[in-house]
Amino acid sequence: MKSRLETQDLAALGALAPFLVLPFVAPTWLAGDFAMYFAYALLALSLAFIWGHCGLLSLGHAVYFGVGAYAMSVTTLGMIPGLASLRSTWAGLLLAIVLTGGLAFALGWFFFAARGLAGAFLGVMTLALAFIFERLAINASWLGGLNGLMNVPALTLGLNGGAEIVDPVAVYFLMLAVVVAVTAALRLVAASDFGVTLAAIRENELRVAALGHDARALKIRAFTLAGAVAGLAGALFVTQFGFASPSLIGFSLSADALIWVALGGRKTLISALLGALALRFLESRLSGALGALWPLALGLIFMASVVLFPDGLFGEAIGALERWRRRR
Amino acid sequence: MRHAAVLLLDSSNAVLVLILVSLGLAIIFGLMNVINMAHGEFLMLGAYGAMQLGRIGVPFWLALALAPMLVGAFGLVIEELLIAKTYNRLIDSILATWGLSLFLRQAIVLVFGPGSYAVAAPDVGAVQIFGGPYPVYRLLVMALSLAAIGFTFAVFFRTRFGLAARAVVANRDMAACLGVNTRRLDRITFAFGAGLAGLAGAAMAPLISVDPSAGLGYLVPAFLSILVGGLGSISGPVVGGAGVGALDSLTSAFYSPVWAQLAVFVAVLFVIRVFPSGLVATLRREA
Amino acid sequence: MLEVNRVCSGYGGGVVLDGFSLALKAGEAVALVGRNGVGKTTLMKTIMGLIRPSSGSIALAGKRIDGRAPFEIARAGVGYAPQGREIFAALSVEDNLLLGDLAARTADEAYRLFPALAARRNTPAGRLSGGQQQQLAIARALMARPRLLLLDEPSEGVQPTVVAEIVAALGQIVAQRGLALLLVEQNIEMALALVSRFVLVDQGRAVATHAASAVAADPSLLMGALAL
Repeated sequence: MKSRLETQDLAALGALAPFLVLPFVAPTWLAGDFAMYFAYALLALSLAFIWGHCGLLSLGHAVYFGVGAYAMSVTTLGMIPGLASLRSTWAGLLLAIVLTGGLAFALGWFFFAARGLAGAFLGVMTLALAFIFERLAINASWLGGLNGLMNVPALTLGLNGGAEIVDPVAVYFLMLAVVVAVTAALRLVAASDFGVTLAAIRENELRVAALGHDARALKIRAFTLAGAVAGLAGALFVTQFGFASPSLIGFSLSADALIWVALGGRKTLISALLGALALRFLESRLSGALGALWPLALGLIFMASVVLFPDGLFGEAIGALERWRRRR
Repeated sequence: MRHAAVLLLDSSNAVLVLILVSLGLAIIFGLMNVINMAHGEFLMLGAYGAMQLGRIGVPFWLALALAPMLVGAFGLVIEELLIAKTYNRLIDSILATWGLSLFLRQAIVLVFGPGSYAVAAPDVGAVQIFGGPYPVYRLLVMALSLAAIGFTFAVFFRTRFGLAARAVVANRDMAACLGVNTRRLDRITFAFGAGLAGLAGAAMAPLISVDPSAGLGYLVPAFLSILVGGLGSISGPVVGGAGVGALDSLTSAFYSPVWAQLAVFVAVLFVIRVFPSGLVATLRREA
Repeated sequence: MLEVNRVCSGYGGGVVLDGFSLALKAGEAVALVGRNGVGKTTLMKTIMGLIRPSSGSIALAGKRIDGRAPFEIARAGVGYAPQGREIFAALSVEDNLLLGDLAARTADEAYRLFPALAARRNTPAGRLSGGQQQQLAIARALMARPRLLLLDEPSEGVQPTVVAEIVAALGQIVAQRGLALLLVEQNIEMALALVSRFVLVDQGRAVATHAASAVAADPSLLMGALAL
């Protein structure tokens, strides 16, 4: 157990190194792209935590991402009645986290009542939610309807506004810092008593409950945390992407997130994170060339990976590294 | 008066088709413990199959019979290549069938394009309902759905095969120890479930917009029906489908499809809070 | 008929059977005795294919059955009435019996053997008493005319008069059909009425064998192996 912890952390540190130098060796636009991919990576982290670690399948996880994005947009575009002069990124982040955390909490409260939803049925309920929210966003004209909200301002560090940070390299390092911080934080949570109990619940909830833990409360708490992290991701994303649309909330992005985490590896945070980055990068390179074949290829690889490498590509690599270390 | 009658008929149509789809999904889950996330796509394949057969000159009623069989055969292949490989790993079967659904949708886009098609309903005329015409075809679809549901129940409760299936649902290991060929049963079950969905799709083809995402609109309601009705019983999806389908189509008619989705979701949320084992199990206990 | 050769098996990587060996001739009846947890039920499940042995071999009438699926082993001629009966509670008695042999036209033979079942053929099996359920489990296992019958704790939860009925029926069948019988039983009296040999099991191995006549004369031979 101890040495497995170290392997994934070693892998994480090893993966960090190239990202620290990327902006200095690659063209600036690539750094800008990766800055956005980092937001997706945060979404993947959130899903890896709630699904990989806690065993709660969230098939519609983009809901929190989208709500976070809209929350940030609404705030910084001055759309909140009475707070039109508020332009602060911090306020947007706060609203995003509070809204998504609150939403996740409320949902968890319903989902995990009594015997609670498990497995695929929890997944389907979360998926249904994604469909509903996407529909609601499309129909909400005050949120821009199908087109969404545009011209969302970029990140500002000041208490209320200030200079927009538009330099791609600066944004890149800011996002990298957030990713590192969140990864480390989730890692610590997973290793804490709270996290270990959650992992036990994933394996055998009845036994954990029989030992006196309030499994339901723990699951709700985990759900809330994951929702908030995804909300943070969405809020940060929209400051770079510039607009919030219903597609950030719905089925499509949720399915993508699932693929990143499954293909990357759901057992460790770093494998899911790398999965998101790798797949987003590959998509930008290949989808132009492959066109409509890209989603097809992705579906095929996904199916193959479930059958052939259930731990995900990076997960298997970490596993192999672990075995190599054990032999030494 | 006429408006109410039409609404009732349309809702019944929607309910029956939903029950048909949910039944296939529930049978696959009950017997194989597999959550088939691609079930909506089997419906979609049935619709496209009927459409394509029509385009190459196959008469509609023949296409209606053939399409489900083709989907069933496809189900057999999928069971062997994909499902059997995830035996006993529930989460992996969810992911595998999820990948399949993405793949199928994209494959259809590649072959037929992303747009939607209209399939012409066969000209069987219309009946007069309270002074206005109502398409006979819709009535035929309802009759067909009822027949298929009835057939499924008959197979389950009146044949030796159905007996073996019920035994496997109740206690898979013990059924195997008695010599029930669980491998063959898995294959047949999956193909049958797929065929039911394909039948729903083929029959509904003239009534819906045939496009790659046609299946998605059925997957979630089908799952919700099973959740509400209760897992582990074959009457669960019937009760659940009736409830979910009725609520969905009535809310859709009086308000809008968006509100309908929300209403169904909230209703399901409350029902499973109050009846965590589903309605059928709770009603059985009261009886 | 049955040859178990140095089989090791267990649950989830753990070892319960540790080099278990046993041989049964056609028509021979053997009882396995031992404390709880020594591996008797594990052996039954391993023979039946519910657990895959990690090493060793199992052969039925000369053909290897280890590693095959349970339904294949059942069709090769092994009948199984497990501990706890595992009857299908929601199905009727008749349905339960027909499941034993789906090709059978009737279950009349089973009814002849166990008249108590005939009177209740349409009753849901869950409503039967413990003894009746045990009769059902045995009758069901016999439907497909197996060559080897595995019985795990048949007298558990069954009143003595019904035990006697079961013994009589089993004795009849074993003699008639030349059925090999492997019995796990704590009730020594019942075992003595059915088997010719006792095998003591301890820590996943067969450690001693005694002829039934020897045990009948001196039951203390089994004392060390039993939890009382």
